[in-house]
Amino acid sequence: MRSLTVAIAALLASAALFASESALAQERTVKITGFGAKSGVVRVFGVNSEAALKAAAEEINNAGGVTLGDGTKAKIVIEFLDDRCNAEEGISVIRRIASTDAFVAVGPTCSNVAESLFGILQKKVGDSSDSGLQFPIIADVAAKGGLAKISEWAFRNVPSEFEMYKSLFAWLKTQHPDLKTIYGGVEKDFAHSNATFGVMKEQAALNGFQLVGQSEWLLADTTFSTQVREMKRADADIVAISAHPFTTCGVLKEMERQSVKPKLLIGLTSSSSIETLQGCAKQAEGIIIPTSFAPVTPEAKMAAERVAKFGGSADLHSAAAYEIMFILKDVIEAQKIMAKPDTVAADRVKMREGLAALKETKGLLGKVRRTPDREAIKPFLYVHAKDGSWQVLYNPAS
Amino acid sequence: MDFYLGLAQIIGIHTLLGLSAYCVLLTGQVSLAQAGFFAIGAYVAAMLTVLAEWPLIAALLAAALIAGTVACAVGFPALRVKGLMLVVATIAFGEAVRLFFFNFDYQVTKGNIRVGPLGGEGFRQIRYFPEHGWSTLEVVLFVWTVVTLIMVALWWMDQSRAGAVLRAVGEDEVAAQSTGINITAVKVSAMTVGGVIAGAGGGIFAHYTTHIEHGQFGVVLATFAIAYPILGGLSNVFGTLLAVLFIQGFLIEGLRFLGDWRNLLFGALILLAMNIRPRGLLDAGAIAALRHLTYRKEATGA
Amino acid sequence: MELLDLIDTVQSIADGVLFGATYAMLGIGFTLVFGVMHKINLAYAAASIGAAYASLLILAGVNAPAAVVFLLAALAGGVLGGIVYVVCFRFIPLANPLATLMSTVGLLLLIDEIIVHETQGVPLAYPALFSDVIVRVGPFGLRGDLMFVFALGCISMVVLLLLLYRTKLGLATRAVSQQPTAAQLCGISVDRVNGLTFVVTGVVGGVAGAMTGAAIGMLSPLLSLPLTVKGLIVTVIGGLGSIPGAIIAGLLVGGFENVFQFFRGVSERDLYVMLLLFAFLVFRPGGMFQPSSARD
Repeated sequence: MRSLTVAIAALLASAALFASESALAQERTVKITGFGAKSGVVRVFGVNSEAALKAAAEEINNAGGVTLGDGTKAKIVIEFLDDRCNAEEGISVIRRIASTDAFVAVGPTCSNVAESLFGILQKKVGDSSDSGLQFPIIADVAAKGGLAKISEWAFRNVPSEFEMYKSLFAWLKTQHPDLKTIYGGVEKDFAHSNATFGVMKEQAALNGFQLVGQSEWLLADTTFSTQVREMKRADADIVAISAHPFTTCGVLKEMERQSVKPKLLIGLTSSSSIETLQGCAKQAEGIIIPTSFAPVTPEAKMAAERVAKFGGSADLHSAAAYEIMFILKDVIEAQKIMAKPDTVAADRVKMREGLAALKETKGLLGKVRRTPDREAIKPFLYVHAKDGSWQVLYNPAS
Repeated sequence: MDFYLGLAQIIGIHTLLGLSAYCVLLTGQVSLAQAGFFAIGAYVAAMLTVLAEWPLIAALLAAALIAGTVACAVGFPALRVKGLMLVVATIAFGEAVRLFFFNFDYQVTKGNIRVGPLGGEGFRQIRYFPEHGWSTLEVVLFVWTVVTLIMVALWWMDQSRAGAVLRAVGEDEVAAQSTGINITAVKVSAMTVGGVIAGAGGGIFAHYTTHIEHGQFGVVLATFAIAYPILGGLSNVFGTLLAVLFIQGFLIEGLRFLGDWRNLLFGALILLAMNIRPRGLLDAGAIAALRHLTYRKEATGA
Repeated sequence: MELLDLIDTVQSIADGVLFGATYAMLGIGFTLVFGVMHKINLAYAAASIGAAYASLLILAGVNAPAAVVFLLAALAGGVLGGIVYVVCFRFIPLANPLATLMSTVGLLLLIDEIIVHETQGVPLAYPALFSDVIVRVGPFGLRGDLMFVFALGCISMVVLLLLLYRTKLGLATRAVSQQPTAAQLCGISVDRVNGLTFVVTGVVGGVAGAMTGAAIGMLSPLLSLPLTVKGLIVTVIGGLGSIPGAIIAGLLVGGFENVFQFFRGVSERDLYVMLLLFAFLVFRPGGMFQPSSARD
């Protein structure tokens, strides 16, 4: 009798186990690898991107996951690799990812890594004489102008600084018709700052502002007295600084020291982050920066909370990573990607086709247009530093 | 597979960088200028293949030669300073080279785009390998042929009188001079050979990364260059190879699974390695032990 | 040249020389380590910046007066100096200078990574003393906080020279660096003396790091490598082992930097600084003040 009870219990237990196992067997996972800089001065970007990718993945998984080509639902698993903002390591990382079953990778953080990575990709799809890597990469942070042009396997979801500054200067002209002159400052040895400065100058001129001079410095510079004195002599109405938080704060502090108070201050997109506020909130008061992210829409607010849960903060860079997860989900489902070990090559081609075919994607601030050379035109707004935080100054979309 | 082949390429390129510093370290000169010669090799080779459309081997030879000539020119003033002063002088030279390329613009229109080095933006689209359809395996074989040739040459030199002369100068200059060795010739030749090797390595590096810019050739790369021979041990060329394998293969790629800890361990492990084996991983003691083992095996075998 | 241009040039030079006071402070420590102790410690600048970071992180948001932060930085510098000695020099035989070079490089990388991990690489604001004081001399304005740094540098020089030449520790340090074996025969504990000297230079480094942070207004992990290179240049130009040389060389380098920048722009500035160094190495390899005791 007793042995019978034990036998029935064992049978029930194994039946339950079998049932749960088969339930587990139904659950497939798709691994998506992000990569970026998690060491050095730019570590915060990698940390934020990783948090954003994981937050987005969790949201997708909670809603049931992504539907694969054969109808099964799969959960997304995020892995994040560190390329240390180094081109050689970036190449190693992408080769490592490409040697697995992955069919897409999200990254890198640094523009110089992106240059090398996009350079090793096959330039034109279908060119059999080109032995470049055939693997789609979609960049979340690397913002130097024109990178996706390098290869048809390269995609980016970064804001178009051309559009943002064009709109900003036009708007400023309408808001402040009395302001005539502008003075620029630029970090000469940082490709991104340098390129954006060119955009700033061009757009300022096109909107009727007169460029009365520019000052230059290097990204690790620590003293700006000569540059700020030149700025003081020029006595322009507007000062535009195309530099990252460290030197932006250095210049702003020197401006305070020399009592240089322009009527308007404009900054670089990347400086609209907590770094600037942590370094020089008082001196940065009032600086206007166009950005492609601020928690102004319900989606954006939710995203900001979710990313914070994963230990990162949502800014224009990590928001791009967050959006990318949803773009990838849509492409996986639209292209019916199978995500099986024997469909890897086909999946990569499908992913590339899918990304290239997109005309429009969902952004956290609204619809994002995609261009034929695989870049993004994102909705943007202007923020300004006020009372130690970034607040929305004006939303062109409203 | 591609991943391991890619890793082999990196190890090959860094071995060349390490060997260039090895040559110079043998004569007792701590040169942090190898990154500068590496940069010269990179830019020259890239400009020749992209702008002048030279074949790769010719471009690499030219790059190595030009880097070697610059190294020779650096070798003479380097004679006047010793020890820490040489370290500082070579750092300054390396930085000067880097700053030169930071300010260097030379663009040419090809088709409908402008190509060539553009100052701070760097030099992009050095796509000789993919454009000529080289597979990863072919590139690995090419890189390692160059590395092997140079390693064999250096090893052979080590076994010959030239090696003894170099090491003699490195150990004790005064004693070496009193036996009639021409210190100037030895030190300058070592610097020149180091420059040639670094130039070749730089040329291959440019084609590997497809994009070069001044920031890649700074003090960090120069430090890696001398780290390899010091960590590996100066008794043997294979020490440098072992150190490159240790740093690039183990510390950078192998420890990747540790995530954030990898970067902390990087410095810590170098520290540990230097404390435990101050003469390098493959120092004279280790080589003697290895030799003893092989001889003992032979003895018992016979 | 217009009067305004002339005033601007002089002001630029003055600003450069004053900022050079921070290089001078760093150079003092460098020249002690490299010149007096004959040890190549490439982790020195990183440890100094690390000490400044430590002073901020220990206080962790507490709004302490600047002087307290500087004091903490000095203490942290001392501790770090001791750590540098134990980890990089204590266990490596003297006959292996290359190994100690490499071990300090390893420590430099480690300190940088620890800083990056603790702060996510984000620059931190650093408190300053006298930051809003501008001394007006005619049409020129001189930064008060930098003059304070210069004063501190001079005080450190006096204290250190007293330490080196008037105390037993200083005597022992000089003995150990000149003739370690003979010093041991005289009963001097080489390890203890070296360790203590590293702690002292660490304190100097901590103050230098704090002053640099105060002068810039911020700390960033970006600083360690450029400061290492500058510190080395200042040490070589000033003469290895000469503390007054380090101060003057620091001011000189600061001044020349601004001169080069004023006339040739920021892209070529550092190139000319390198050329200045080469000029010194060619025409005066001993530096400006080559002390008779220090020979390399």
